[in-house]
This record gives sequence, C-alpha cells and structure tokens, in this order.
Amino acid sequence: MDGVGRVPGTAGAGGGDASADAAFTALLEDSERELYENAPCGHLSTLMDGTVAKINQTLLGWLGLTRDQVVGRMRFSDLLTVGGRLYHETHFAPLLRMRGEISGIALELRTAHGDRLPCLVTSVIKYGGADEPLLIRTTVFDARERRAYEEELLRGRQAAERAQRDAEEAQRQAEEAQRQAEQDRSRLKEALAALQQSLLPSTLPEVPGMEAASYYHTASPDRLGGDFYDLFPLDGKRWAFFLGDVCGKGPQAAAMTSLTRYTLRAAALHDPDPAVALTTLNTVLNERYSGGDPRYCTAIFGVLEPGDDGRTVTVRLASGGHPPALVIGGGRADPVPTTGGLLVGVLPDAHFAEAATTLEPGQTLLLYTDGLTEARIGPGRERFGDDALRDFAAGLTAASAGHVVTALTGLLEGFGDGLDDDTALLALGVPGSGAATDEDTP
Amino acid sequence: MTPFAITVHASEAGPVLRIAGDLDFNTASGLREEVRRVPLDPGRLLILDLTDLTFCDSSGISALIAARNRAVAAGAGIALAAVPPNTARILGIVGLDKVFPIHPDAATAAKTHETP
Amino acid sequence: MDVRDRNNVVVTGRPDGPVVLLAHGFGCDQNMWRLVVPALAAEHRVVLFDYVGSGRSDLSAWSEERYGSLDGYARDVLDVCEELDLRDVAFVGHSVSAMIGVLAAAAAPDRITSLVMVAPSPRYIDDDGYRGGFSAADIEELMASLESNYLGWSSAMAPVIMGNPDRPELAAELSDGFCATDPAIARVFARTTFLSDSRADLPDVKVPTLVLECSEDVIAPREVGAYVHAAVPGSTLVTLDATGHCPQLSAPEATAAAIAGFLRTRP
Repeated sequence: MDGVGRVPGTAGAGGGDASADAAFTALLEDSERELYENAPCGHLSTLMDGTVAKINQTLLGWLGLTRDQVVGRMRFSDLLTVGGRLYHETHFAPLLRMRGEISGIALELRTAHGDRLPCLVTSVIKYGGADEPLLIRTTVFDARERRAYEEELLRGRQAAERAQRDAEEAQRQAEEAQRQAEQDRSRLKEALAALQQSLLPSTLPEVPGMEAASYYHTASPDRLGGDFYDLFPLDGKRWAFFLGDVCGKGPQAAAMTSLTRYTLRAAALHDPDPAVALTTLNTVLNERYSGGDPRYCTAIFGVLEPGDDGRTVTVRLASGGHPPALVIGGGRADPVPTTGGLLVGVLPDAHFAEAATTLEPGQTLLLYTDGLTEARIGPGRERFGDDALRDFAAGLTAASAGHVVTALTGLLEGFGDGLDDDTALLALGVPGSGAATDEDTP
Repeated sequence: MTPFAITVHASEAGPVLRIAGDLDFNTASGLREEVRRVPLDPGRLLILDLTDLTFCDSSGISALIAARNRAVAAGAGIALAAVPPNTARILGIVGLDKVFPIHPDAATAAKTHETP
Repeated sequence: MDVRDRNNVVVTGRPDGPVVLLAHGFGCDQNMWRLVVPALAAEHRVVLFDYVGSGRSDLSAWSEERYGSLDGYARDVLDVCEELDLRDVAFVGHSVSAMIGVLAAAAAPDRITSLVMVAPSPRYIDDDGYRGGFSAADIEELMASLESNYLGWSSAMAPVIMGNPDRPELAAELSDGFCATDPAIARVFARTTFLSDSRADLPDVKVPTLVLECSEDVIAPREVGAYVHAAVPGSTLVTLDATGHCPQLSAPEATAAAIAGFLRTRP
C-alpha cells in the first residue's frame, strides 16, 4: 500500500499531529469503497461470458441505469452500440482472450436515454490458481472530449485523403484529356497524310528507257501542301507528266489540287496535246473559282515520246505561269523557255506557252516549284533564286534523275528553316550510254 | 527590309495605291482589303504603283489578280506602274505581262489613260 | 511469391492423418485456432493459414479488386489446397470463412469434401423476411470503430508483423501483432464480410456439413444458425453452450470435440 503510506506523509508535512493522522486514516478506510463507487472512471467486473457481476456508481450514472437492471442481467457488450458490439466480438474479445488484457479501445456506450457515450475501455482477465480465467475487470474512461478532438483529426485526415483522391482523379482526367487530344491529333495527321497521298502518286511508274525521280516537301506536317506532280502512261509509247503549284495552302488548296490532278489526267487521255490539256484545266478552274477570291495554279504539262533512234526522248511542254523546266547534263543547265503562259484559271481565255526539246542520253529534265528558288538563304536571308539554281544544277557532276533529286534534296535540307514553302521536284532523265557517262561529265 | 505599307493618293485618272515592301502570303490580304475599300467609278483607272515593291510571290500575284477582278467588275481599268525588274520577270513567267498594262511610272499611267 | 509464404501457411499434427484446414474469419488471424489445434492435431494433419491482408500474410499481394469479394478469399483457400496438393480436406471456417468454404468447395469438389461452419451467417443485414441481426447503419458503426482502433497497427510495424515468417525471434511480438491489420485492408474485409449475401449458395452445398453455432452469439444468433442448417441439404446442427462469436476461444474443448466428432463420422 505505497499510496496509502505516502498520502499521510504528504499531508503531515502541511500540518500533522496525531489526531489529524487518525482522521486521514479513517477517511482513507472509508474512501476505498467510496473511491471504487465514485471514482472518476467507470469500473465493472464480468464473468468470462461477459455477464456483469459488479459495477460502480460512476458508470451506472453515465449509463442512467440502476444496479439491479445491470448486475446479473446484462453482458458488457449489451452496454455498447451495435457497431461497437460487432467490434467487441470480432476484435476486443478475441484479443482479450489471447493476451489476457487489452487497453485503450475506443468504444461507445449506449445510455438508457439513448445517448452515445464515447469512452476508452481497458480490460484485464483475472486468473485463478490453475491459470484458469476467472473474471474480467474493466475500466471505462469518459472520452467525449478526446473523441471529439480525434474525430476532428479523423475528419481532417479523411478530407485530406479525399482531396488527394480528387487531385489524383483530376490528374487522371487531365492525362486522359491529353491522351485524347494526342489521339485526335494523330488521327488528324493520319487523315491529312492520307489526303496528301491522294494528291501525289505513291510511287513513280517505271518508264521504259528513262529514269524518274521525285521529291516532295511540305512546309508544315499538319498543313496540306499545294504542290503537285504526276507521271502516267498515255498509250503503249507515250507518257504524260505534270508538275504545278496551287495558290494558297490548307484544305481549300488541297481540294483544288485534287481537282487539278484529276482534270489533267482525264484531259490528257482525251487529247494529249499539252496546251489543250492546260486549256481544259483553265476552263474547269475558271468556272469553279471565279469571283472575289480568285484561285489559280501554275503548271507545266508535258508528253514524253521515245525518239525513233531509240536513244533520245522527245519532250513537248506547255506551261501556265510556271517557272521553266531545266535540261541538266554535260555541265549545263538550260531552261526550256515557256515564259508567257498565263496562270491557269485566272481568265476564261488563256494562252499557254509551248515548247519542245529532245533529251539526249545523260540529260535530265527537271521540273520544280518556286519553293526551291524562293527559299531564304544566308545571313541576309536572300532568296535562293533562279540563277543560283541554274548554277547549282550545271555544277552537278552526275546528272541522272536520281542524282539530281538527291543533290537538290541535300541542298534543300541545308536551307533549314529558310525553306518555308512547299517544294516539289520531278526529274525525268535519259540514262547515259554507260554508268561512267555521268561521272565523266565535267 | 522595307516594311509593308500601302499609301493611297489620287491622280487625274483614278486612285493610285503605292505598295511598299514584300507582297506575300502575310501581306497580300492587306492589298486585297485596300483594293476593296478604294472608291472606283466606271471609266476610272486603278493604278498600282510598285516602285517600292521588294518581292512578290504567288499570294501577291493572287492579290494583283483580285485587284484586276475588282476593277473589271467596277467597269474601270487597271494598270501597273514602275514594276521592279524581278517582279516584271515573274509577271512575264506567269503571263500577266499581257494581262496588265504596264507603265514606267504612275504619272505616265495616268496620262495615257483615255477617259471613255 | 510462394503461396506458403504469401498466406503464412502452417502445417502441424499427424502427417498421415486426414486433413483439417482451419480458416479464420474477419478480425484476426490463424491464432484464433490455437486453443483447438492441440486437440485436433493428435489425429489430424492440421493446416493453418492467414488470408492475404490478415495476420502475417504478404501484404504486397493484397489488392482491393481481388479481396473486395468473397471469391478472392476462396481463391486463397484453393491456392493453399493446390500448393500443398491437399485432398479430401475437411474445411473448418469461422464466421465469414464458413461462406468462403462454401465457395471453395463448389469450385474444388475433388479437394474439399466436408465443411464445418463455425458461427456462420450467410447475411448479416436484415432483409425482407430474413433476420440477420443488423442494419446497414450498424455496419457503418463498425467501420467507425475500425477507424478509431488501429490496435497497435502502424505502417512502420507492418513489415515486422507481416513480412518475416522465417524469423522465429519475432514470435514474441506475434501476440502484439495479432489482430493488427492495415486499416484500409480491414475496411475492405469488413465491407466484404458484412455486406455479402451468400444465402443463395447454401442449397447448392453438396458435401457433408456441420453447422456449429453458439448458444449466445450477438453476431450470428441462433435463428441464423437454424436458417443455415435448414438451407444446407443434409447438414448437422450442433449448438455449443458458449457465449460470444468465437467458441474456439470461449469454449475450445467443446469446439474441438464437436469438430473431431463430426470428422469421425465421415466415410
């Protein structure tokens, strides 16, 4: 009884004579029972099956019950809320059995008035001499204040968890939206690429006795180009080709390109004369695009016919407002003069310039659009220009169609962002008599 | 580089639009807009003075054609004045040198215009 | 991960004896059985395990998707049976495990050939014409109790409690870890347990079944025991003179005797 011994000592330091000590002793003897009944916490003892055998006044007061209503009639779990009872059966009781004690469990008592009383419960099993469990001693602390505070904390944590979940959800949605946008963008790109494909031959056909090469550059991957070209057979002997540039960019230019390509193909099959083909196109475009927003294109249309000698190829050309084709080879690059042909589609009656040339073995006919010559180069961002192109082409040591296109492709790549327009190249060459011909050309 | 600008003044034959700078994809709509706005009566002459034109691409050509369409629709005439050599060459390539009357300067253009 | 480690499988008893598989319910782990194991071990090969998410199972194997339905727990039972190649198993399931056993026996009739349902309830929430003893609000109250009592659970302790079946020196800490469950996992198990409805599965039970109820059980009252007995074809009902939901703790001898007695009647 350490506590009992110490209390009088403490009190005695304040005042004590013998009669005061006696009064304390009497008070303490009286208070053991008093302390149990009116302790600042609830006490109860139960049998192992939970039946209440003893309960103090404090707990009865909290519950609003009398001793007779509880002792021998109720089990501890009867004093709990239903949810608490579930917890008691699934966690509290098994743990108590296993460990012999359990402490600080948060439960709620149900009072006779129907109120809930949050409490903290500690239980200990009292064992007999043979270690057999005899009874359960339980202490109940009023935890209203503490629980209110804990619930605040819990609510705070739940709110934080909710906020985190919301944030994660928002992030997920943003990622989903971005994924969707990327998907849309890639679908659009695919559609544009497919449309662009329809404006150009997927591969150039094999023309007997000739070599053909082409190059196509769009200024922007998500913008349809306005340049076009084609190469196709007319009959067993002759081939037709064209290359041009529709004014403007984007879907409307693409629609016009499509109209232009298929009109020229149909016109050529009807009458392969180059000027007639352009005239047909001019009529179609002028009817379709007259008014305040004039649309037109530049185009060179040509027909290839192998010479009777079996070595050369005759080219007949018509041009509507297009830069002249170049004949490249032998250290030279000469324009085939077609100046004066009018833009196609501008006026109802248009005149187109006609020309003809013969390609010798080792010579290549180059058609290009002005994206090439109008590219900005150098520190002054000057236009590359027709003359520079001619010089470059004349300087090529190898003048086969493939070499010409490869060399110009390299040149264009060197322009970097100076190449700000669409560019199309179509090269049609007569191979030299031997592989060495190109290399021997100065 | 000359900044793009259009100044409008009157001649005895009709309005003169003096175009300075590059006439290209970025600026062509400015010329179209100005051409739409300028008063133009039947029989008058719209003169495009290209003295200070530094460059003309296909969009610029488009705008020139639009100007011609506007003049024709108004029952008026159109003329180009002081075409720089590079642009003259382009006009030759695209065949417009035969579509537009071309004069050495705006005054000459105005003088040679015959009122119908 | 090996199923033995994942589910903290413990095998004891007579190696050549008939197999008894003891499955704990919601709340604790295989230690629930430790007072009945000695009595069963004399004649049987006793297999104990923890469901993933309970006891010393591998928490990393837990997912809400799998363990949000009783089928996921039944899958654990089948995994243990397959891993140990158990045949002719008497499955003893406490509380919700009784219903998990019904699912497992239906899925593997070649392995599980009899059932002992300890304090079973196929449906805790009252329903039209059915009295399970609880309302949905009561279950929410249980959830609140779970929230308030982490029972020594802390994420720092989790690896010690859960992840070291091969470190016997931790055995002393076991009683501290007993019942300690990750609160998030406990919530899912509680919902799965108390919101499931297994009544429709009972008439399909094809194996000999013992229904073991307690005379006073607030979680599975006697009328629920009677319901299960009536619904499972050919089942035997034994009422233990025991209070509470865990007769294996409150009346271990009687519980072991009832199980052993039933197992002896099996062909």
